[in-house]
Amino acid sequence: MYLLEQLLNGLCQGSIYALMAIGYTMIYGVVGLVTFSYGEVVMLGAFSAFYISTAFGSNIVLGAIGGFVGAGIIGIVIHKVCYEKFLDAPKHIALLCTIGMSMLLKNLAQIVFGSQVKAMPEVIVSKNIEFLGLRVTNLQIIILAVVIILSISLSLFLSRTKGGMMLRAVSQDKKAASLVGINVKRTTMLGNCIGCGLGGVAGVLLGIYYGTIVPTMGGMVGLKAMSACVLGGLTNIPGAAIGGLTIGVLENLGIMVFSSGYRDIFAFIFLVIVLLFCPQGLFIQRKGRK
Amino acid sequence: MRIKIEKMKNYVNDHKMIFICGLLTVLAILPFIIQDNYIKGILVKMLMYGTLASSLNIINGYSGQNNLGQAGFMCIGAYTAGIIATSTNVNFVFTLIFAGIVAAIFGYLVSLPTLKLTGIYLSIVTLGFSEIVRLTALNWTPVTGGAMGIKGIPNPSIGGFLLNKPEHYYLIALAMLVICLFCMNRVIKSRVGRAWLSIREDEAAAKSLGVETYKYKSINFVYGALWAGVGGAFMAYYYRFLSADMFILDEGFNVLAMIVVGGQGTLIGPLLGSVIVNTLTEVFRFASEYRMVVYAILIIGMMWWRPQGLAGASDSILAGGASLKTDKKNKDKKVVKADGNLRG
Repeated sequence: MYLLEQLLNGLCQGSIYALMAIGYTMIYGVVGLVTFSYGEVVMLGAFSAFYISTAFGSNIVLGAIGGFVGAGIIGIVIHKVCYEKFLDAPKHIALLCTIGMSMLLKNLAQIVFGSQVKAMPEVIVSKNIEFLGLRVTNLQIIILAVVIILSISLSLFLSRTKGGMMLRAVSQDKKAASLVGINVKRTTMLGNCIGCGLGGVAGVLLGIYYGTIVPTMGGMVGLKAMSACVLGGLTNIPGAAIGGLTIGVLENLGIMVFSSGYRDIFAFIFLVIVLLFCPQGLFIQRKGRK
Repeated sequence: MRIKIEKMKNYVNDHKMIFICGLLTVLAILPFIIQDNYIKGILVKMLMYGTLASSLNIINGYSGQNNLGQAGFMCIGAYTAGIIATSTNVNFVFTLIFAGIVAAIFGYLVSLPTLKLTGIYLSIVTLGFSEIVRLTALNWTPVTGGAMGIKGIPNPSIGGFLLNKPEHYYLIALAMLVICLFCMNRVIKSRVGRAWLSIREDEAAAKSLGVETYKYKSINFVYGALWAGVGGAFMAYYYRFLSADMFILDEGFNVLAMIVVGGQGTLIGPLLGSVIVNTLTEVFRFASEYRMVVYAILIIGMMWWRPQGLAGASDSILAGGASLKTDKKNKDKKVVKADGNLRG
């Protein structure tokens, strides 16, 4: 029973990681460049939800929208500073730029928000639900639901709407996309904005799940999102989701065996082992991208 | 003006040995002229980070692999030295070398999964490695002291002569840096160094010309980790206290900022970056929370306006957009540069 409960915890955390990884994959797929400032985007999403909840009363929908918008705006800033100029330049330039951006955002957040831990306002009254003998909190169910709803709406957006088609076209081939009349710069910005927004919602969920937010929460979380994305094969959205879930479950199973201080190690060890044997990630895409 | 600078450059190049010896003498005498211990401390830091940045420069600058986890190698070197120095009574020179070798072994292990990887895969594995090392140091209490860290690392001594003054540390750091730069200069001009440069410029082309890229990339990691370990070990002796917090990712990014500012793939760049970043650190000491903000703006600004770094050549492959624009103009020059002077 304990094992099953840990599995459930893992799934719940993993679904938050999955949401982040989906956003990350979106950014990498559309822009084609790595970002190291994703963890900070997640953190800023959580903080914008925090300030909105304190100003307008705590409501999970309002908080999620606030996180999405706040992180999306940061996404536009990141795009303007780190990507727009360097789309054709060597890749390490944009990479270093995002590292600089990550340091900038983290330290500015520490100055503006204060570096102490803040308690997230209680959005939902936590309740335990007995389900087939398992103890489940309603928080876990809501988090899972939010993640699933967002994933489905993203996949609908990508497959059914004009904007989604433009995003997919740009992610496949920028030159060909611009030849058929797509504004590549604006589309990459849109993709970056949506990816960052999803990260922001994930940050809100993280804040609700742990109950606290802190300006330095982004570093480790961003690394995990990146690992999940790499596990899934970088441009594969379902793969990234599965990668995120795997990392969440592995962490919680790892705690059962070793002490909880080692919690953050498991994801990376798993990543290194996977990359040792299949350097393309767990799911190799049939359609090759260059 | 330009001709005058050319002339001066030629003059310096012709009398290189004399200039280097003169500079070294000045540097060696410097701590005995300056009386302020505070400034001496800053100088030691500059030299120490110069070595550490050079070690990262070997990996990032010369073979073009994006290693972001240099703090992990530093951590391994520092903890190795700390554990040896507190538990046994061996000479500190031996400890430095041993710490370097231990870090190099880990460098080999890291290079194994990363050989086939490029770009983001490599970066994320090295980042993950750095965090794995730090968290292990934080949690493996019986060996590393856990959250308490390692305290009371003894002062180094040579032949019974205790080295405990800032100028002693300064001279050790200077010797370390000079040996590091000298070895690097020799290695870069050897077959191995040329292989690294060819991998950086174009891996596929290097492979097709018979360069065993896996082997040389592995050697590159081992060599970079070796010097990071030595630098980390010196750090342990200098601070005389170790904790896992000293090796967070920001520390690695700090070293990265140095080579970015100074210029990747140049010998003098890391030292220049170390001097600039450490000076900035001291200038902004009154506003310590804005310090990292300044670093961040520095990195972004460098990437926008001079991606090859202050000491980097403007026709370097690292210059990116800037070189693309002037590519046509400098094409002939570039060829000469590529085989004549290996930017060493």
